[in-house]
Amino acid sequence: MVERKEIEHLGDLVKVDLNEPEKYIKQVEQILNYFDRLDKVEFHSDDTLRTQITTDGLRDDVHEPYGDSLIGHLKKDQNNFIRAPKMV
Amino acid sequence: MTKIGLEIHCQLTKLASKLFCSCKAEYRNLEPNSNICPVCAGLPGSLPLLNKKAVEKAAMISLALGCTIPEKIGFFRKNYFYPDLPKNFQITQYNAYGPTSIGSDGKIEIEGKTIRIRRIQLEEDPGRLVYEGTSEKTMITLVDYNRAGTPLVEIVTEPDFETPKQVRVFLNVLADLVENIGVSDPYLEGAMRVDGNISEGDGNRVEIKNVGSFRDIEKALHFEITRQQSLVERGITVLAETRHWDDARRITVSSRSKEEEQDYRYLPEADIPIVLIGQNSIEQIKTQMPESIVARKERYVKKYGLPAQVAEVLSSDKFYSDLFDKARNEKNAKEVSNIITTDLMGFADTREKKLELKITPKHISDLADYIMASKLTRNSGKTALQEMVKTGKSLADVMSSLDLGHVSDVGSIEKIIDEVFKEEEKAVAEAKQNPDTINYLVGKVMRKTKGKADPTTTLDILRKKLSV
Amino acid sequence: MNLGISAVEFVSQAKDGTISVEEFVAKTLDRIKKVDEKIHAFITVDTQNALDKAKAIDKKIKSKEKVGSCFGMPVSIKDNICTAGIKTTCASKMLENFVAPYDATVTSRLKFEDAIIIGKVNLDEFAMGSTTEFSYFGPTRNPWNPEYVPGGSSGGSGASVAALECLASLGSDTGGSVRSPASFCSVVGLKPTYGLISRYGLVSYANSIEQVGPIAKTVEDVAFLLHIISGHDPHDHTTANNERIDYVKDLKNGISGKKIGIISQMIGDGIDKEVASATDTAISKLQNLGAECIPISLDAVEHSVAAYYTIAAAEASSNLARYDNLRYGFDFGTEGYEFKAFVSKARSNFGPEVTRRMLLGAFVLSTGYYGKYYLKAQKVRAMIKAQLDEAFKKVDYLVSPTMPILPFKVGEKIDDPLKLYLTDINTVTANLSGIPAISVPFSMSSSGLPIGIQLFANSFKEKELLQAAHALQETTNLPEMSL
Repeated sequence: MVERKEIEHLGDLVKVDLNEPEKYIKQVEQILNYFDRLDKVEFHSDDTLRTQITTDGLRDDVHEPYGDSLIGHLKKDQNNFIRAPKMV
Repeated sequence: MTKIGLEIHCQLTKLASKLFCSCKAEYRNLEPNSNICPVCAGLPGSLPLLNKKAVEKAAMISLALGCTIPEKIGFFRKNYFYPDLPKNFQITQYNAYGPTSIGSDGKIEIEGKTIRIRRIQLEEDPGRLVYEGTSEKTMITLVDYNRAGTPLVEIVTEPDFETPKQVRVFLNVLADLVENIGVSDPYLEGAMRVDGNISEGDGNRVEIKNVGSFRDIEKALHFEITRQQSLVERGITVLAETRHWDDARRITVSSRSKEEEQDYRYLPEADIPIVLIGQNSIEQIKTQMPESIVARKERYVKKYGLPAQVAEVLSSDKFYSDLFDKARNEKNAKEVSNIITTDLMGFADTREKKLELKITPKHISDLADYIMASKLTRNSGKTALQEMVKTGKSLADVMSSLDLGHVSDVGSIEKIIDEVFKEEEKAVAEAKQNPDTINYLVGKVMRKTKGKADPTTTLDILRKKLSV
Repeated sequence: MNLGISAVEFVSQAKDGTISVEEFVAKTLDRIKKVDEKIHAFITVDTQNALDKAKAIDKKIKSKEKVGSCFGMPVSIKDNICTAGIKTTCASKMLENFVAPYDATVTSRLKFEDAIIIGKVNLDEFAMGSTTEFSYFGPTRNPWNPEYVPGGSSGGSGASVAALECLASLGSDTGGSVRSPASFCSVVGLKPTYGLISRYGLVSYANSIEQVGPIAKTVEDVAFLLHIISGHDPHDHTTANNERIDYVKDLKNGISGKKIGIISQMIGDGIDKEVASATDTAISKLQNLGAECIPISLDAVEHSVAAYYTIAAAEASSNLARYDNLRYGFDFGTEGYEFKAFVSKARSNFGPEVTRRMLLGAFVLSTGYYGKYYLKAQKVRAMIKAQLDEAFKKVDYLVSPTMPILPFKVGEKIDDPLKLYLTDINTVTANLSGIPAISVPFSMSSSGLPIGIQLFANSFKEKELLQAAHALQETTNLPEMSL
């Protein structure tokens, strides 16, 4: 059973104010119940599917400044800082 | 019993670019947000591109700390919201689902004690927050992302330390080590940061964060041990919590934030494929690695016959051991090591003083050769060295300007001994009775010659004249 | 001038001067003006820029200068693929006014070949959905019947091609988002092998499984576009390091002597009768072309929808964390807020489907549940791939209907997310395993709604896959767009 408290906790984890938490309770519960079938699958291997790369494919350590001034495209104050709310 | 574990964040300051983009790794002293690109600023659609050299440097640290490097390494996302994190997750490594971090299960010997290394992981540094405004109400946060994405290695130890002093010694060795293998300049501001965890007996573990410097971690640990012990004595349970070091008040303070309860929801970072390291790459990295401190110490003992203690002091300091290796040859190694460890290190006991030394390997090798050829006494040698490190002048120049030539001809020394005999009749009589006091007279001769007389010749003549 | 020609036909006519690029582009823009009120495929139309580019290309053609292989072909791009200077909204309030300062690799490759980006097209917010109803800007409608959904999430791509508002489009396919609208709008849509096409500049939703995919009227057009946009990209570590392949060459090789497996799990319970019968017809047509068709069982498909939504939700919850309105995003002052309150308030502007998936994602990744959901879902991926590898030892291709059902009415399923998720049963297998799959328009239902057939091949076998798709398309005779 998914409860309002849990939905609100999930909302807090992903930082979304839920205007109507009730709306999500039943749907999330229904979908999670469906996901539960994963727990019953019998696996014969622990493999997962991931792409692989060798160290040769990695980026060389070279400094190349970003051509454009990126900060000009972002929200900023007159000193080119990004403004965030207070942290307390 | 006190148990202390450490988490050390060490920036790979010797790299040219950030961990996942081509912005500059050195973010210090730049205009705000001038060292950013779509990748490190977390713009939609950007993808991380892993810096090959960062992997190699992190592997070097792992090898130097005796860690196992897995065949495959992987990256994870640590999810939490904070304004210094442009993506609101940090790309890091995580071993909960099998060892995929660049190093694990290492160990290092510190003064005969084994410190186990649990894990070494490669990750990105967040940006920096600047607080503006004085009161809590007007306070706003300004964010500079120039540092975001700087390559960082986190070293996590097991709780194997028993005293803050062991921690300090370990951190000094670690700082020497990362400097020695050329991955970091640990003395740059913010390049090496330490968090600690500490527990008394079977008590709860307390994390200590926000410690600015190495010196402060020792103080913070001392404070915390006292705090915990006094709680235990009064029968109060120590809470499992995170405490911040309050630099101004020199105490640890409980963090009200529920940081320890955070659920980071780790998940594999699919934008970075599993990286196949392979035994070949590891072997290649080994060949690129400078000699380790341990190997260097061994070489000094075996090849040059230095006493173990001298070898240890010398090998753990990159600056002095480099100087030693450049100045020494087959014959003068012992003398060179003497000059460096007994005299030079005494002049330059702090890092700042060390950086000011105007010394070259030639200064040291010349000095050793002169002393060994008896052209200079050890005493005058020390005087010459002091002058050389100050002025950078050659040994010959220093000797002539300070008149440090060696007096070893019998005639001159006899003349001086005669003078001393006249002035020290009592001592002469005593020396005839008790030859052990002869050194007093040697000292007098030395003083008169400002240390230039050859001690052996002086002693020989004295003995002859006193018939002892 | 006929806007219904294929992209490849356009290229040859523009090349030899039979048509003027400017006229064609102008006529396309008129068409958008006329029909898009009903269809709502476009979020942004780049009218002036498109006309200027068209003029410049005409000039180049006349003066016999070198012209890129697209010769001014008007294309639309899904609005989750970055285009420098044109808004990239992801159909979200969160990026309502966002202009990326850079082109996605696929965008710059199209521009380099002188394609004209005529506009950005609609999608479910951040590509989460299969009907294009979950757009902040309102739903896109099916050009074959505007009361019906066009499929999704690349509904704007599918509808804009079907409604003759462009010659081709780029969509993205995370769990069927290119193939679903291709099927519902009666056009061709390809989900390439994971790693064939760069994702640089594609706004991430579920980054371990999604790919950009071309949508066009013909298989040949899709092959033509694939050649341009595929191949290794130094900006994307997950692109494969293989050579660029000419997918148009040998396209007409046919499928005589090939073996095709019919996936039993994709034609079973819940499949619409007309879809089932169209599938049978398609199979017999493939047999007539000389292919041998045999049933193949892939029992891991039974777990595919649960695995897909677990992975997609988990990755979405992380990928969408960056939208906190601090660095970019809609206007919303920080004054008076504490950080967490500010971010949570700003992020309450995500739509309901995105919010739902982020909540699910947070749940399946939270302490104690990773092993039960996410890890199992990852193992299902490997299990499906292993079963596919076994199947491809026996057959060259696999076949299924693209969608188990016919297009449905706008609003019909929007309130039942699980029911909607289950309609992805035939498409998510290709995403979970990484293999390529293509939807080919095959027939029309009695009610005049499109039915598409899906073909699969093994990883990086796009050339062979396109040959089979072309052969199948050659057997069809579909009505012209009458809108």
